Amino acid sequence: MSASVLQNVTHSCFALSYLCALLLELGRTFWPGKGWRVAGLAFGAAGLVAHSAFILFHQPTPAAPYGSLLLLAWVLALFYLYGTVHHAKQAWAVFVLPVVIGLVGLSLALATAPNATEFTVPEWAAGDRFWGATHGLLILGASVGISVSFLASLMYLLQARRLRKKLAPGGAVPMLSLERIETMNRRALNVAFPLLTAGLLVGTLLLSQGHVTGDNWLSLKVLTTAALWVVFLVLLYLRYGGHVPARRLALLSIAAFAILLVALVAAHPFAEGGAK
Amino acid sequence: MNLRAIGCNVESAAVELREKLAFDAAKTQRALAELTARFAAEAVVLGTCNRVEIYVSRQETVAALHVPLMAEFLSEVHGVPASAIAPHLYEHADASAAKHLFRVASGLDSVVLGETQIAGQVKEAFETAQKFGATGPLLNALFPNALRVSKRVRTETGIARGHVSVSSAAVDFVQQVFSSFADKTVLVIGAGKMGRLTLKHLAELKPAAVLVTNRNPERAASVAKECGGRVLPWDRLDDALAQADIVLSTTGAPEPIVTLRRYAEKVRPRRGGRPQVIFDMAVPRDFDPDIHDGDAVSVFNVDDLGRVAEARMAERRKHLPAAESLIDSEVAKFVGDWNRRANGPVIGQLTSEVDKLRDGIMVPLLAKLNGKLSDAEKAQIEQAFRLFQNKLLHGPIAALHESSQEGQSGGLREALRKLFGLQG
Repeated sequence: MSASVLQNVTHSCFALSYLCALLLELGRTFWPGKGWRVAGLAFGAAGLVAHSAFILFHQPTPAAPYGSLLLLAWVLALFYLYGTVHHAKQAWAVFVLPVVIGLVGLSLALATAPNATEFTVPEWAAGDRFWGATHGLLILGASVGISVSFLASLMYLLQARRLRKKLAPGGAVPMLSLERIETMNRRALNVAFPLLTAGLLVGTLLLSQGHVTGDNWLSLKVLTTAALWVVFLVLLYLRYGGHVPARRLALLSIAAFAILLVALVAAHPFAEGGAK
Repeated sequence: MNLRAIGCNVESAAVELREKLAFDAAKTQRALAELTARFAAEAVVLGTCNRVEIYVSRQETVAALHVPLMAEFLSEVHGVPASAIAPHLYEHADASAAKHLFRVASGLDSVVLGETQIAGQVKEAFETAQKFGATGPLLNALFPNALRVSKRVRTETGIARGHVSVSSAAVDFVQQVFSSFADKTVLVIGAGKMGRLTLKHLAELKPAAVLVTNRNPERAASVAKECGGRVLPWDRLDDALAQADIVLSTTGAPEPIVTLRRYAEKVRPRRGGRPQVIFDMAVPRDFDPDIHDGDAVSVFNVDDLGRVAEARMAERRKHLPAAESLIDSEVAKFVGDWNRRANGPVIGQLTSEVDKLRDGIMVPLLAKLNGKLSDAEKAQIEQAFRLFQNKLLHGPIAALHESSQEGQSGGLREALRKLFGLQG
C-alpha cells in the first residue's frame, strides 16, 4: 500500500465499515441467512485493514488518550473478528462492535491535536522512552483484558436475565452459555491483573525517578489507574475467595471498565509533562 | 417430466387407514418391483408414521399414473379395498410433485414444523429404491436435490431452530447455562414418565455421571439401570443436590420436597457458587419456585418448558414464508434444469434427422453437377443448405428452450417428436 493511499485512510473509513458490519449482524439476527454474515465479515475485515493501515501510518502513541483509545479499539476489532469466525452462531459482533465504534468515536473526539503527542515507535523504544513504552504496552494489554471482561460481563448479565425471566433460549440474539462467558471473563481478568500491576509498577518507578514534571502523583490518570487496581484486587478476592454471585462480579467488572475509560481519557502525565 | 406424488398423510387419512397402508421392508420391496415391472415406472416409496407416499415417474410418451390406479395398486399390496383408500389420496403432478417432495424433506409438511427426522426418512426411502433398481434418471436427480434443498432450508432459515417438545426444551435451557457436559453430574429424583423422557434427551449430552434417588430403592435401581446411573439413598438427597449440576425431579410427592429454606441452608452453601439447573417436572412441584434466581440456580417447571416449546413453534412459523420462497426457487431451477436435460436428446435427434434430409438432397445434386461447378461454388451451395437448415430449426429449438424455462416443455417435445417423426 503506497503512502498516499495510507494518508487517505481516515477514522470514518474504519468506523463506517465497523458500523456496516454491526448493522449487517443485526440484520442477520432478524433474517437468518449466510449472506448477512459473509457481508458483515467482509465489512468488519475491511474496517480492520483500514484501522491497521491508519495505525501503521500515523503511529499514535498509547501515552496519549487519543492513541490509547485507538489502539484499544484496534485490539478489540481483532477480538471481534476472531470471535465472529469462531462463534459463527453467536451474535458476537452485536456486543463487541458497539464498543469498538464507541472507542473510535471517543478517540476522534479527543484528537484535538494528535500531532502534539505523536512520536513514532522507534522513538519510544529508544533509551529513556523504552520504559515509558513498556508501561504503555502493559497498560494497553491490561485494558484489552478489562474490555474483554466488560463484554463478557454484559453478555453474562443479559444471559442471566433471560434465564431469570425464563425466556425461550436463543431468541433474537444467540449467546454463549453462562459457563463459557464466565470462563472468558475469568481468563480476561487473570491476564489483565498481572499486566495492570506490572504496568503500574513501571509507571510508579518512572514517576518516582522524576521522569516527569509537575504534581503528577495526584493527576486524574494516576488516581483512576490506582483505583482500577484496587477494584481489580477486590474483584479477584470476591471471585476466588468470597464466592459472590457471578451477577455481582459482572457488575463490578463493568464498573472497572468505566474506571478504565476515565483513566484512558484522562491526560497522561508523561504526555503532559513530557517524558525526558 | 411425467412425475406424480401420490399418497396420504395425517391431514388426509386417519391413523387407522395409515396403519393399514404402512410399508414394511418386504412390502416395500414387492411394491417397488411391481411398480417398475408393471408400469415401467421409476418409483420411491416413502412410509413414515405420518405419511405413505409413492413417487412415480414414467416416460413422457406414456400416460401418467393417477389416484384410481394407485389406489388399486395399494389395495393389492395391503389388502384394503381401493374404495376405502382412494378418497384419502392426494396427487401432485410434475413441478407440483417436486415441490411437494422438497416441502416434505424440509419438514414443512410435518406435524412438527421443521422437524429434521423426515430428511433421514426421505434419504432412506430413496436409498432403498436405488438398492432395488427402482429409480431412474428423474428420481435419481430429484431426491438428492430434495435432500440438498432440505439442508438449505434448515440452515438458511430458522425453521428448524430449537427444540419444540416439552422434554427436549430442557436441553435448550441447560445449554444456556453449560457449554461442556463431560464434567457435569445429573441427578434424577423420582421416576415419572415425563422425567424419563427428559432424561433421555439430557443423556444425549453425555454427562459425566447420572445419580438416581427415590423413596423406593427398587424404583431408583430400575431408573439407574435404564440410564446407566448410580443409586443414592433417599436420605442423602441434600448431598446429591450439592453435587449435581443438573437436577431432574419428577416425584409424586404432594408437598415440595425441597423448600427455599432447605436449599438455602443445606445445598447452596456447599455449591461454592457453581451454577445449577433444576427441571422440576413434578405436579405438584418438588422444588420451591423461589429457589430460582437465574444466576447460581435456575428452576424450570413443566409449564416453563411447555411455554418455550410453544414459543419455539411460533418462531418457526415466522420462517415459513422464507422457507416456501426458497423451495419455490429451487423447484423452478430443478424443473428448468430437468427440461433442458430432457430437451438435449430431442434436439440431437431433430438436428440429426434434418442433417440426413439435407444430405439426401444435397449429395445427389452435387453429384449430378459434378464437373460443372468449381470447388468454391460447391462450398457456397453447401453453405446455403446449412443456412436454410439452421433457419428452419431455429424456431422450434428456441421455443423448446423458452418453454423449458417456463417448466412446460413436455408437450412441445412430444409435438416435435410427432412432427418430425422422431423416436420416443
